[in-house]
Amino acid sequence: MTAFLLQQLINALTIGAIYALIALGYTMVYGVLRLINFAHSEMFMTGGHVAVFLLAIGASFSGPGWVLLVFAVFVATFVAIGFLGVGIEVAAYRPLRGGSRLAPMLSALGVAIILQNVVMLFVSRRPLPFPAFLPPVSFDLLGAVVTVKQVFILAVALLLMLGLTWFVNTTRFGIQIRAVSENARTAQLLGINVNRVISLIFFIGPGLGALAGMLYASYYGIVVFSMGFIVGLKAFIAAILGGIGSIPGAMLGGFALGMLETFGACLLPMLTNGVVGSEYRDIFAFSVLVIVLIFRPAGFLGENVTEEGMVYKRDF
Amino acid sequence: MTLRLQAVTKRFGALVAMDALTLEFRPGRVTSVIGPNGAGKSTLINLCAGSYRVTSGRILLDGLELQQAEKHVIARAGVARTYQNIRLFDGMTVLQNLDVFLYPEIVGQTFAEVFRPRLSRQIKLQRSARCMELLERFDLDRYAGQLAGDLSYGNQKLLEIARAIVLRPKVLMLDEPAAGLNHGETHQLMKKLRELIRPDLVMLVVEHDMNLVMALSDHIFVLHQGKLLFEGTPAEIQTNRAVQEAYLGSPGENDQIREAARRRENRVRIRADADITRHRSGAA
Amino acid sequence: MTSESAASTRPPPNRAAGRIRALLIVAATLGALVLLVPQLATYHVRVIDTVLIYVLLGVGLNMVVGYAGLLDLGYVAFYAIGAYSYAILASGQFAIHLPFALILLIGGCLAGLAGVLLGIPVLRLRGDYLAMVTLGFGEIVRLLLNNQVWLTNGPQGISRIDEPFLLGVGLNTPKDFFWLLLPLVAIALTLAWRLEQSILGLGWAAIREDQDAARGIGIDTTVAKLLAFGLSATLGGFAGVIFAAFQRFVDPVSFSFWESLTIVLIIVIGGLGNLVGVVVGATVLIIVPELLRGYSEYRMLLYGCALVAMILLRPRGLIDRRYNPAWLMQVLGWR
Repeated sequence: MTAFLLQQLINALTIGAIYALIALGYTMVYGVLRLINFAHSEMFMTGGHVAVFLLAIGASFSGPGWVLLVFAVFVATFVAIGFLGVGIEVAAYRPLRGGSRLAPMLSALGVAIILQNVVMLFVSRRPLPFPAFLPPVSFDLLGAVVTVKQVFILAVALLLMLGLTWFVNTTRFGIQIRAVSENARTAQLLGINVNRVISLIFFIGPGLGALAGMLYASYYGIVVFSMGFIVGLKAFIAAILGGIGSIPGAMLGGFALGMLETFGACLLPMLTNGVVGSEYRDIFAFSVLVIVLIFRPAGFLGENVTEEGMVYKRDF
Repeated sequence: MTLRLQAVTKRFGALVAMDALTLEFRPGRVTSVIGPNGAGKSTLINLCAGSYRVTSGRILLDGLELQQAEKHVIARAGVARTYQNIRLFDGMTVLQNLDVFLYPEIVGQTFAEVFRPRLSRQIKLQRSARCMELLERFDLDRYAGQLAGDLSYGNQKLLEIARAIVLRPKVLMLDEPAAGLNHGETHQLMKKLRELIRPDLVMLVVEHDMNLVMALSDHIFVLHQGKLLFEGTPAEIQTNRAVQEAYLGSPGENDQIREAARRRENRVRIRADADITRHRSGAA
Repeated sequence: MTSESAASTRPPPNRAAGRIRALLIVAATLGALVLLVPQLATYHVRVIDTVLIYVLLGVGLNMVVGYAGLLDLGYVAFYAIGAYSYAILASGQFAIHLPFALILLIGGCLAGLAGVLLGIPVLRLRGDYLAMVTLGFGEIVRLLLNNQVWLTNGPQGISRIDEPFLLGVGLNTPKDFFWLLLPLVAIALTLAWRLEQSILGLGWAAIREDQDAARGIGIDTTVAKLLAFGLSATLGGFAGVIFAAFQRFVDPVSFSFWESLTIVLIIVIGGLGNLVGVVVGATVLIIVPELLRGYSEYRMLLYGCALVAMILLRPRGLIDRRYNPAWLMQVLGWR
């Protein structure tokens, strides 16, 4: 029993880490612009594809020295998708700033559709194999099987999250990000270049999402143009669960959703004697979304909307 | 018909915006609420209108308790208000802005309106007539078809007041009606407000413009830091020392300022007292 | 909005003549449609039927998004409820064979009920939260349709749905459905228009402009929003029932998030809140891809580009709000 639960725990943490990385992108953007960046799921997807591409090129160059290559691909993917994110913000969101909140959301949806279809039509309709760059070793931990891949994903994800936390809490840019998230207009009055901060957010967020895509692809071994939609949606639910707008909330929410999903999917069949099967994993995640938004829209760590804050001239 | 606040307290976190305030607003006259910034004047209106919830205390309209009621229920009970920063429906016409106020009264007729066009036309004509009549009283009838957002600022303020009274409310609360108006417009406003006085209407005006307040009011409450500092007729208020100090600073401070201005100093140190020790309770 | 107030100084005598003229033009247009359409090839009529169904859906969603200002990204759920009502109650799935008209009522009511039940907890949420919850709800419905195989036959869908009979006449060709859809859509448009002009419509406009101020006026925003939600859901249900009867086959794939998005696109492209825009939007969104049949692969890509382009360049949609049915009628001579 312990072994079984431990196994599920490790699985949950692994997928949770990936959700957390993607959720960070959603939460950072929402915190500043109050915009649900629907295109973020496609950052995840394009990141995976770009990584495949770069690894393929890299492999033809160096033979050994995998570690350096993988590291280089990590950095390159982060930067490439980071620039993509900034570009999208400038082209599709910035012109709409200050208007209704419906317009940027629809624009984001449009961008998501464009990205997905561009990859589908011009890269590949079929799934592409992701080269395994880790030894297929696994070891036994109190009866549970832990693969090197899982350890790697967890380690990298935690490192990235720690890095982001350090960045946001210590560096000047990080503090500017927090200031702009809290109140953009005041931050501007204090001399902070809000546009630059927003570009920074659109560099880091999508970049992290792209790395999550690379990790995800390395875990499952393939990339496909449609992989962004469901995973992105779930990461989004994780961000809501943790409290959208809150960076530690996104991380917490990611792991929480990973747990809920994994344990829910394996426990539900047991509890209901097989009536509710594990295909219900997805429904579970969406139900979490609906329940959280109805009963506690602020999630775990999000800001509670106060009375005075409730007074919006336009709801969206 | 009386609007009563009983020991109403409102806290925003650690800030006490209103401190066990007990007031009574009577119909048939204009009662103004004045006080320096932060005294709790807007909070008062927001609490009575249901935008804020009291931390403790009761708000009563005759026998009806308002402090727990939903905003729209309070409105339907006959409490109308205007906003300091105008909140008209900019995208709708002037006539529509007035018309929509009739919603609580006639929303039940929607079914008839949809399925019986002839009846609906009659109903619409009646409503239009009623609204146009009111617009004429405020000299706004020629703007009936224009978008409310296109009106001049002064006219927008008038429209806000016109809207508030279309359903013959029991309580009319005006939040800084003269804000942003020039002298002539303020005078116009005062005349219009005087015309509104009715024996069955409680009129509450929050204002900074002392000329308007003194000319219009029958009774004045002076608030300071959430408490009642003084109340009385305009004449009594003008001569009261505590009120003057709350608004204008103590004589000592004023001398300092005058000296500094004369010597053209850039900075003056003033010691501000945070609490009122000169509150005169029962002084009306 | 035409001002029929007593203060209007326009002379009344031409009124009757103007109205008759407008009505004649409308009747002539409808008459032309009625005469011409049967002459077209079956394929073309099928496209027109699809356009009409989407107009119905657009009118429904427009009530929630365009009138009341609430973003519903899961509208397809109500469409699906209607469609599956017919599929389940008029096929071999459970060997129940209820008549079409009855299921139209049942499907509409079920969808409407779902709308109200969903609305009660959800409508007090802020705009973007509402969008997310409705999106989640839409997806939950689709997943349930996929998984509850005992009820819906899962991914395989329900086929061999009964032919609908109305007043003893069987509807089995697109032309038959045209005769059903045209009057239905005309009625829906008319009722929606009258609703928009009613005091409830005015209340919705106030909610859309400034919800808090609307509450301060005495408008029970919760009830008003629930009404919008419920009515729009009911309309979606009707459209679903007709769709199932039209296709004689339903499967969960037809009711994905992209479907919700398509309907949102229709009203955005046409112009939020404008019924004329809904008709134009549905026509454009259905007919253009049909014209570009050869490039069907690129359809979604074009949708995406069109969406972004519309939002950036012409956010008010193709048809400005001014050019609504009242304007149309005025142009035709109605006074």
